[in-house]
Amino acid sequence: MNAIINDMYVAERQAFADLARDFCSKRLIEGREERDRYPFGGLMEEAIGDAAAVGFYGINSPVDYGGVEMNATMLASILERISREDAGMAAIIFANAAALEVLRVAAEQTGCADVYGRIHSLGTAPIAFQSYAGPEECELPTVDAHSLMSGGVGFLALAPIAEYAVIPARHGAGARYAYYLVALASEGVRVHDPIVSLGLRGCPAADVTFERVPATLIGTGDGPGYFDSMRASLSIAAAAISLGILKGSLRDAMRYAADRYQGGRQIIDWGQVRMMLANMAVEERIAEACLDTAYRELDSGMPGWQLTALAAAIHVGELAVRATADGVQLFGGNGYTKDYPQEKRMRDARQAQCLLGMAPLRKMALVDRVIEERL
Amino acid sequence: MKPWKIGRRERAALLEQGPTIREVFNGLECQHRLPAGAHREVAEAIAIARKFTREVIRPIALDTDLRCMRDHNYLPLEFVKKAAEWGLFTLFIPKIFGGKGMSFLAVYPFMEEISAGCAGLGHVIAVHYCGAATLFPSMNARIIRKVFADVAKSERAGDPHLLTIVVTEPESGTDVQEPLLIHNARPGSSVRRVEGGYVLNGKKIFISNGHLSYWHIANFIEDKGSKTDSWIQFAIPNGTPGFSFGAHEKKMGQFACVASELLFDECFVPDSLVTIRTQDPEFRDSRKGARWVCHTITDHVTGGTRTGTAAISTGIARDAYERALAYARTKQVGGAPLIDRQWAQIILADMYRNVNLSRIMYLEAAFALTLSGLFKLLFKKPVYGVIRWLPRWYFSLIAPLLDLRIATRFLRWYYYDGYPTEERNVASGWGSACKYTCSDLGLANANLALDLMGADGLRHENGAEKCFRDVKLQQIYESTNQINQLNMFYCMVAHACPEVELFK
Repeated sequence: MNAIINDMYVAERQAFADLARDFCSKRLIEGREERDRYPFGGLMEEAIGDAAAVGFYGINSPVDYGGVEMNATMLASILERISREDAGMAAIIFANAAALEVLRVAAEQTGCADVYGRIHSLGTAPIAFQSYAGPEECELPTVDAHSLMSGGVGFLALAPIAEYAVIPARHGAGARYAYYLVALASEGVRVHDPIVSLGLRGCPAADVTFERVPATLIGTGDGPGYFDSMRASLSIAAAAISLGILKGSLRDAMRYAADRYQGGRQIIDWGQVRMMLANMAVEERIAEACLDTAYRELDSGMPGWQLTALAAAIHVGELAVRATADGVQLFGGNGYTKDYPQEKRMRDARQAQCLLGMAPLRKMALVDRVIEERL
Repeated sequence: MKPWKIGRRERAALLEQGPTIREVFNGLECQHRLPAGAHREVAEAIAIARKFTREVIRPIALDTDLRCMRDHNYLPLEFVKKAAEWGLFTLFIPKIFGGKGMSFLAVYPFMEEISAGCAGLGHVIAVHYCGAATLFPSMNARIIRKVFADVAKSERAGDPHLLTIVVTEPESGTDVQEPLLIHNARPGSSVRRVEGGYVLNGKKIFISNGHLSYWHIANFIEDKGSKTDSWIQFAIPNGTPGFSFGAHEKKMGQFACVASELLFDECFVPDSLVTIRTQDPEFRDSRKGARWVCHTITDHVTGGTRTGTAAISTGIARDAYERALAYARTKQVGGAPLIDRQWAQIILADMYRNVNLSRIMYLEAAFALTLSGLFKLLFKKPVYGVIRWLPRWYFSLIAPLLDLRIATRFLRWYYYDGYPTEERNVASGWGSACKYTCSDLGLANANLALDLMGADGLRHENGAEKCFRDVKLQQIYESTNQINQLNMFYCMVAHACPEVELFK
């Protein structure tokens, strides 16, 4: 039975991956360098619009609200494919999916019909979310007794283009945080200038400040619980972004090494170059194996799949950072220029490693759970 | 006889077994071989660099980076003028050539300091000295004097004429910089002999500081049928007919230091600007031959420049460390200061260790250069004493002697005919070792800074992401780290393994 379910998931994943591949070839390859200049160049507005048309912003939202209601492995398949070409687009889909995942988890308890009902652009435009930091790392805004939010959030992914945001905030000083839905067009919201970031520049981000802005509580207010749950699911997606970047880097490095001559022969024939490619290939295979295990455990609902997902995100992120640095190195001086996509991949991989919070804190969170389970 | 009582002869035999003192204890050897004032010059250079970094570089570093990101055509000309006001483009040029004469040993700590402020702006100064390190090995005293007299004069006038190093071409980069690969290189450029000089055609790329420089120390292969022994170098000033600038690269980092295309279209360069030509009879018919000379020129250049690259990497590693430390002291995570977390302390400890390991490596290479490489003549105690203590006016009086052929002949005898291969290997091997070690440590530190700073590290205004972008170049230029690994193997390991075949 499990095998049949797994086959079904594999087929569906493949269908989504094919959709993502078509999307990439039509929208993401051309003009990649110019899009990567954001905020000094334009946004990929067409691609952002098209992603809505093919349903990428509703993958993990309920069918009742126009979504596809797929689990994180489907999302991961799409993000992996997209990230081979331009992880900036994947980061947009990721941030939106993280916001929706918080809602989905909350909806399991309370339905959240009022929250979903407030999002007029559900599925047609992405929702802003703090993708690169866990609430523990940030100063959070506060929400008063009248449900008005004040304070600020840093590095809010999609803030420059989104209509809504899912924001962690405290209900009074020292209180545990909860998640709130905020309309970014509300009076009292100030979206600051776009952040110039290391990578994933196609996914715009900005600091946002709030001054007595109406905020709608999501679910029962169990922010840490929702965050942990969201982080477990989305870790698979984060790992998939890293894997996609790694795969793109290896693919292009091999092509380049076969085309480039140095010292009288194709550089792919130099032993040292082969060894670097071998290292990248090993890293790719290990990353794939990690993700496959995480997919399988999640799809079959195996106890402890969350730990595997967290570990996969941490490990695949590290592998991608290492491999993409080699991906640049194999191109020599060309790899350092924007004429080739390798330097962008190196920056993107490094930024993707920060998805869902700083890596050391995620490691500590992982080991806390491992210790809790085993001791 | 007690076993630890070793006679002189036995001791010498034991030490000769290798690794020898001269190969691996450069710092120790310098304890007694270096002239007394050398360490004071290093301290003085560090102090100047720190002041310049604090007052000039740091206040503009991030803005300049951002400005270059916004406007690809922006060139930091104001910064060049400011550095000229401080006299930094002649600080390390010997007095006899019109400079201030600070010792070359001090140039590397100086580079570390300014690169800790900004690797891009630091490179604007450092690349000028890389150009100098390319010109010096020609040992052409007349042209060196001519070029540096112009640099000194232009610096005083506030419009400094910088030097740059010109080697790489679209189809040949690493291989033309590596003597053991050069026979298979496929350079697209051409050099044609005509009456009174040479005509150059072709394109050179990735020329750091190209658009900011005036003197281009351009290296070509004259005879494509005999690439290993036909090195020819020119000192080409701006305005030479047929020479022009092309585009400059859109890069990942180090924006302040442009990487330019230089175009040569029937560019005529007179004989008077040919700095060295290894097919001349003085090399071709010499005891060691033109091929050995070509190899040695390359190693003299790269020994000096790779050590500089390593010092710059150390500066970036330090920048990353200092930013991470400052961040950890102010950041609160989960209601407690980040710096109080033990894992954060371990990251910072690793970063501090990396900076110091890196510094030890480049200093060891710099010591190798003073004992066995390009600087060895200048650090002979009597020579050092003369150039350190005699006033500049004295050197301006005797400088015209450099125009005599005997000056060039003496230098070439010292650095080529009388120069042992063993010393070349030590200087070149350490240059490669420190280049790839320091750049790897630099990248490690940039990664650690980003680990520690999380989302805040990704923001341009916090500087850590700039370290990450900047330091990657250090693993690539001055030959990739992989080529440097092989060169180190060739210089330091393979000589004891005569059966080994290289670059197979």
